[in-house]
Amino acid sequence: MFIGLLRIIKFAFQSLMRNVWLSIVTVVIIILALFSTTFLMMFNLMTEHTLSVVESKTDVYIDLTKDATREQAEVLTDELGQLAAISQAEFITPEQTLENFRNRHQDNDLILESLEALEDNPFRGSIRLNVNRIEDFPVILSELSKTEYAQFLEVEDREFTDAKLLIEGISEYSEKIQRAGLIISLIFVVISILVVLNTIQVGIYTHKEEIGIMRLVGASSSFIRSPFLIEATVYSLLAVIILVIIIYPLLGFIQPYVDGFFKEYSANLTVLVNQNFLKIFGLQLLGAVVITVISSFIAVRRYVKV
Amino acid sequence: MIKFENISKLYKPDTVALNKINLDIGSSEFVSIVGQSGTGKTTLIRLLIAEERPSEGRIIVGGWDITNIKDREIPFLRRQIGVVFQDFKLLPKKTVFENIAFALQTCGEPIKKIYKVVPQVIKIVGLEGKDHRYPYQLSGGEQQRVVIGRSLIHKPKLLVADEPTGNLDSINTREIIDLLKKINELGTTVMLVTHDRDVVNSLKKRVVTIDEGQIIGDQSKGRYVL
Repeated sequence: MFIGLLRIIKFAFQSLMRNVWLSIVTVVIIILALFSTTFLMMFNLMTEHTLSVVESKTDVYIDLTKDATREQAEVLTDELGQLAAISQAEFITPEQTLENFRNRHQDNDLILESLEALEDNPFRGSIRLNVNRIEDFPVILSELSKTEYAQFLEVEDREFTDAKLLIEGISEYSEKIQRAGLIISLIFVVISILVVLNTIQVGIYTHKEEIGIMRLVGASSSFIRSPFLIEATVYSLLAVIILVIIIYPLLGFIQPYVDGFFKEYSANLTVLVNQNFLKIFGLQLLGAVVITVISSFIAVRRYVKV
Repeated sequence: MIKFENISKLYKPDTVALNKINLDIGSSEFVSIVGQSGTGKTTLIRLLIAEERPSEGRIIVGGWDITNIKDREIPFLRRQIGVVFQDFKLLPKKTVFENIAFALQTCGEPIKKIYKVVPQVIKIVGLEGKDHRYPYQLSGGEQQRVVIGRSLIHKPKLLVADEPTGNLDSINTREIIDLLKKINELGTTVMLVTHDRDVVNSLKKRVVTIDEGQIIGDQSKGRYVL
């Protein structure tokens, strides 16, 4: 049993080395197929990342009423910050609001002069809410409309509606892109499967005579088939290892272009790949092994019946 | 040793390759099966090594009825029958040693035994010093010797040779036939399928003549009569 297994492994590697060009071509084809799926997976991850960045950067400001004291505002901010739907709540003082306003309009003398003409700070405090998910907006809105908050907050539906519309707009585009990406991915995956399947089958076709001879000298079907299945697994493993080696320098090369395109929404591709290493390469290794082993199995079975 | 009882083989739609063949070959016999091309000689071999199943009749090899042999039993049958073909059927990416050893490796024989038996067989077939050569580095006669070596490795009781000299010149033909005779003298039943008149006549052994799928002659010390 053990000797048999060792021999099967030996024959697999022997065949791989003695048919080195065929092995190289097969591995290259698998790498090319995996390349396209890797980039599509990364594209999807990048879109997801951009959307989450957009969501996290979308803040809603709730103005405080005249009646709200600073202490009440701070208590309210703490309470709101503890709501599950809100990731962060920050009290913006009237002074900060005035300062921010000045900074924003420092090039506009007319506005600054008008501001100087006023004796008091025209701004009241506000609470900046950073919301986890746009789907939670209605929940937060109804929470804020409760009577205990109503006397301190001037809640305007429009604030939420505008932010929601913005994110929904981006979301819609993103979903369309992802849907298109998925369709393209599927087409690529199908093409890749067909190419890999054919390459493996052609490879095994060249062993047709050899398989016949193995049968002739009394080799069992499993003894004939197993080296080819191991060979297919090794091809897939080699392809994924080479892919990993190639992909990182390539990520460094395309990073500036990605940054230029996505601007402040961009992500570090290397970090993104590292975070999803198993998802990207593990899935691809599994997919490649399954496809190559199944195609080898089918191809060998055809010739084993000689 | 071998019994063909009323064996017929039909191919669709209406080709009769073998028609009610009855043949009994005893142990240690040397039998030449002769006949012109397309008369059913090779079909007989294919039935014997279970590459095909008979349409009718029974085949018994060494007391084992292989008429309806199961797929998983075929490897065991083939390990008991040495087979030599005209086109050699060697593994091109394996050396002489590996080609011969392969037949043992497939059965899970230990390395120690392989390294003991294979050199002995290489010596018997006269290929000493050439065990690390690949088939393309050998002449036709030498390649056929490798095949014979491989077919002997399991010490089979039966050796089937289908036109083993078809691709060889007269000198190599003589050497291969001498080798087959030597193997037969050591106790192995040899079934030689050929249409080489000179070979058959020089052997002076049993000759079974087949024509149009039927046995038309069976002589104990026969000649090629077609």
